[in-house]
Amino acid sequence: MTPTRRFLLRGLFQGSAAIMALPFLDCFLDSKGQALAATGQKIPTRFGTFFWGCGLTKALYLPKSTGLNYEDTPQLASLKPYKSKLNLLSGFRAYVDDKPNIQHWTGNAAITTGIAPATDFSFDAKTIDQTIADTISHGARFRSIEVSCCGNKRESYSSLGGSNTNPPEVSPLGLYTRLFGPGFQDPSKGDWTPSPEIMLQRSVLSVVSDDRKALWKTVGAGDRARLDQYFTSVREFEKTLDAELQRPEIVAQVTIPPSPDELPMNKSVPNLRKVTPVLAKLLAIGLATDQTRIFNMAFSEPASTIYMPGDSRPFHQSTHEEPIDETVGYQPITSKFSTYSMEGFATLVEALDGIKEGDGTLLDHSLVLAYTDTSNAKLHAVDGIPMILAGSASGRMKTGSHIAGTGSTVARVGLTVQQAMGLSVDRWGTDSNNTNKPITEILA
Amino acid sequence: MRRSRHTLAFLTGLCLLAGTQAALAAAPGPYLAGLRRLTESQYRNSISDIFGPDILVQGKFEPDQRVGGLLAASSSTLSITPAGFEGYAKIADGIARQVVDEKHRAKLLACTPKSAAASDRGCASQIFEKIGLQLFRRPLTSEELKARLDAADAVTKQSGNFYTGIRYSLTTLLSAPDFLFRTEIAVPAGKAYTLDGYSRAARLSYMLWDTTPDEGLLTAARTGALDSDAGVKTEVARLMASPRLEVGMRSFFSDFLQLDTLGTITKDPTIYPKYSDEIAASAREETLRTSMDLVLKNNGDFRELFTTRKTFINRPLAWIYDVPYNLDGAWMPYEFHDGDGRSGIVTQASMLSMFSHPGRSSPTKRGVALMDIFLCEPTPTPPANVDFSIVNDTNNPKLRTVRDRLMAHATTPTCASCHTHSDPIGLSLEQFDSVGERRLKDDGRDIDVSAVIADKHFEGAGGLGQYLHDNPRVPACFVRKLYAYGVGASSEDIQTATVRSYLNGFTTGGYQVPALLKSIVTSPQFFAAPPPAPANPSVKTATR
Repeated sequence: MTPTRRFLLRGLFQGSAAIMALPFLDCFLDSKGQALAATGQKIPTRFGTFFWGCGLTKALYLPKSTGLNYEDTPQLASLKPYKSKLNLLSGFRAYVDDKPNIQHWTGNAAITTGIAPATDFSFDAKTIDQTIADTISHGARFRSIEVSCCGNKRESYSSLGGSNTNPPEVSPLGLYTRLFGPGFQDPSKGDWTPSPEIMLQRSVLSVVSDDRKALWKTVGAGDRARLDQYFTSVREFEKTLDAELQRPEIVAQVTIPPSPDELPMNKSVPNLRKVTPVLAKLLAIGLATDQTRIFNMAFSEPASTIYMPGDSRPFHQSTHEEPIDETVGYQPITSKFSTYSMEGFATLVEALDGIKEGDGTLLDHSLVLAYTDTSNAKLHAVDGIPMILAGSASGRMKTGSHIAGTGSTVARVGLTVQQAMGLSVDRWGTDSNNTNKPITEILA
Repeated sequence: MRRSRHTLAFLTGLCLLAGTQAALAAAPGPYLAGLRRLTESQYRNSISDIFGPDILVQGKFEPDQRVGGLLAASSSTLSITPAGFEGYAKIADGIARQVVDEKHRAKLLACTPKSAAASDRGCASQIFEKIGLQLFRRPLTSEELKARLDAADAVTKQSGNFYTGIRYSLTTLLSAPDFLFRTEIAVPAGKAYTLDGYSRAARLSYMLWDTTPDEGLLTAARTGALDSDAGVKTEVARLMASPRLEVGMRSFFSDFLQLDTLGTITKDPTIYPKYSDEIAASAREETLRTSMDLVLKNNGDFRELFTTRKTFINRPLAWIYDVPYNLDGAWMPYEFHDGDGRSGIVTQASMLSMFSHPGRSSPTKRGVALMDIFLCEPTPTPPANVDFSIVNDTNNPKLRTVRDRLMAHATTPTCASCHTHSDPIGLSLEQFDSVGERRLKDDGRDIDVSAVIADKHFEGAGGLGQYLHDNPRVPACFVRKLYAYGVGASSEDIQTATVRSYLNGFTTGGYQVPALLKSIVTSPQFFAAPPPAPANPSVKTATR
């Protein structure tokens, strides 16, 4: 039994005694991961986002010093074990120019598109994860996987543009079924052959994807874009089936766990503490087995309404209503919600770092952008929005620094991320967010 | 305010049209005027009607969004994402598998092949012609049919099974844009444009029954009967006389009253231990039963939805309302007493719990929601740098109740314009907590439920109910939303003249919803289409 497997058993679905008795898919790679990597098989670099609402508490998270070896701060305590594997970004600003500051939306959309959005709940361009997917997702089974930790089916900030967002998985069971349910190719099977059912399904799909009618040329611009998106989606499904017809080659040392129970999903902090690590670990195994190379996890929504049982004020309400305690200089109860959000992020980082891959961990072969909608939620401020970049993107990122953006555009972060992920782009964003200045200090 | 992309596209189309009038005048053929993604309930109802209620529809649907107060409007703005298509493909696979299984094939397929182990193009043709007509809501074109027959042939050859061929080929109908979207085709009608017969059939059917057109409607489309006002009236009379009208109206009221919200809210169990998923589902059903009983079964005055004390309760709701439940059955009619403080649907557990926080009521949330739903008056977002701390400074000895604190905040000049607008409505409902239970005290003091809107003073939920009952904007808003629901547009984009054209009859007729519905769906306006977009030879969908 590998440490990885013990880690899974211990951590993943605690309290279910039946797990041990269930037939596991055998621990299929054990020590092969190293071997495969040693024989030169390329480990893909993954990209993900972690979104939480309502920002952090400046007095509690922001270190005074920048660069390497910045001092520890209380709000980031949960991330301390991974400090050397992440970069803390502060002081970057979403420029709105002549557009309104759409509360709890402008910051979110500007960070992921480089464009201050014109309207609420709509993206003026493809979000950064989808742009990166265009380059790196080919060959993986799913273009991207989205997850909502609160279980809200509308909570996803990944989009091909417009108000359509990629719908999230809303429970551990849902995520498990998507990743390891029907269509999952078990690489441990010695006599692996492509599934005849998937072959037939793939063979008839061209009837749909090739069905371009003359009538559709008569459609208006808005509906034409919607038809284009539909056909893009059909094409992506063809790629999914293509991937399912390939013999899987996986280098990570992981075990596919048994199916989790259906768990209650809601916005209470204790429940989030229960489900977020489970979702994070499933997601990590999905990445390690190359089901996807792109993920987006939403811990809470913009204007986060996560709550502590017994306290009638949810997070967002608290940011506006709780008085600042002048003796400490911040809102004591509100600040706890920010801390809880960082604890949620830490469980994701832990899950990624807990999977060995090649001569490092899954986290080392990933880049995760954690971001939020505001800096000071009380004022809906979009200057100084805190962000964290975790993972070294297979060596393309230097980590361990605190970078102060000193008022430069948030699009610099997106540009840096794209370059680290190997995209050929030297300029990103529009209007005042347009930039050709990546954060060179952290690009390797 | 949010403007739908549909409208923008339409306006762009208009501008471009001006420059190409001559070119278009030469060839005004049928064109695609609208594309409306089926809602989950429309999808489920359609499959149930086409293949029978025992065919299970299992899988994940793409969520919709509320635009101008209605989810129905987003059917005209949303498309299908990669994860969404994957979901639809899986659902389609599950349906097709069941349709051809041994239990169902004899009943659901129009033909039995000469041999179950070989291709039978003639037989497959009969099968796909029938199912294709039902799924696409129009006959398949010869190209569409041929593609399905070829696919079925190929799979049958590979698998040695006729039904396997049908199964896989059937998934291509269920995954096609022509099924997943209602493609609305328009044709010239004099100087204007109108929907063709099949598109009319679908619009009527989804509006009135929330499902795919039945055989009668498809026949009326084929014969051209639906192209005339008289033909439309005949079909509308038939559809409205059916008990299935209630399915359609439940769907509309659920959307209009935003009852889907009950599926997404949570309550803090340490504060509200009574609340559960069962309460949420019951609360939704209560409001729909009350609405259907009043507007359909009794053909009553729509405005009484705000004043009636009659409702329907089950055992879990009796617990919330703290009333006896002495029936063995699942639901019983119930009438609240005068002193219970209840007044119509705005005091039902559904509305009270949907627009509250997990751990407490919110006069602002309730006020904002009711203004939006019943008055079509969305509240602008507050300025970015508002200081709300006074609202929650519970240590201030002068501001002890929620009302005191909210009012102190709301009198700040920058806040007043919105709060004087929405808060009175919410404050009048403060005697009901976050799950709809009655409470008379806040922090040990009596709750003041007096309110003033536009110099009209009223008291508590009863006063609010009467205010909404008497407010002429309420029926106007209802007309606006019912029409927007049918045509799949944002309610904010519906012309005032359009609303007025139905409002007068609604008002003079005593606010009867069936009569209003009939006047809308039998008016030529209901089928009017925007002019065609200019032909664009570089359409991306035409190439690969």
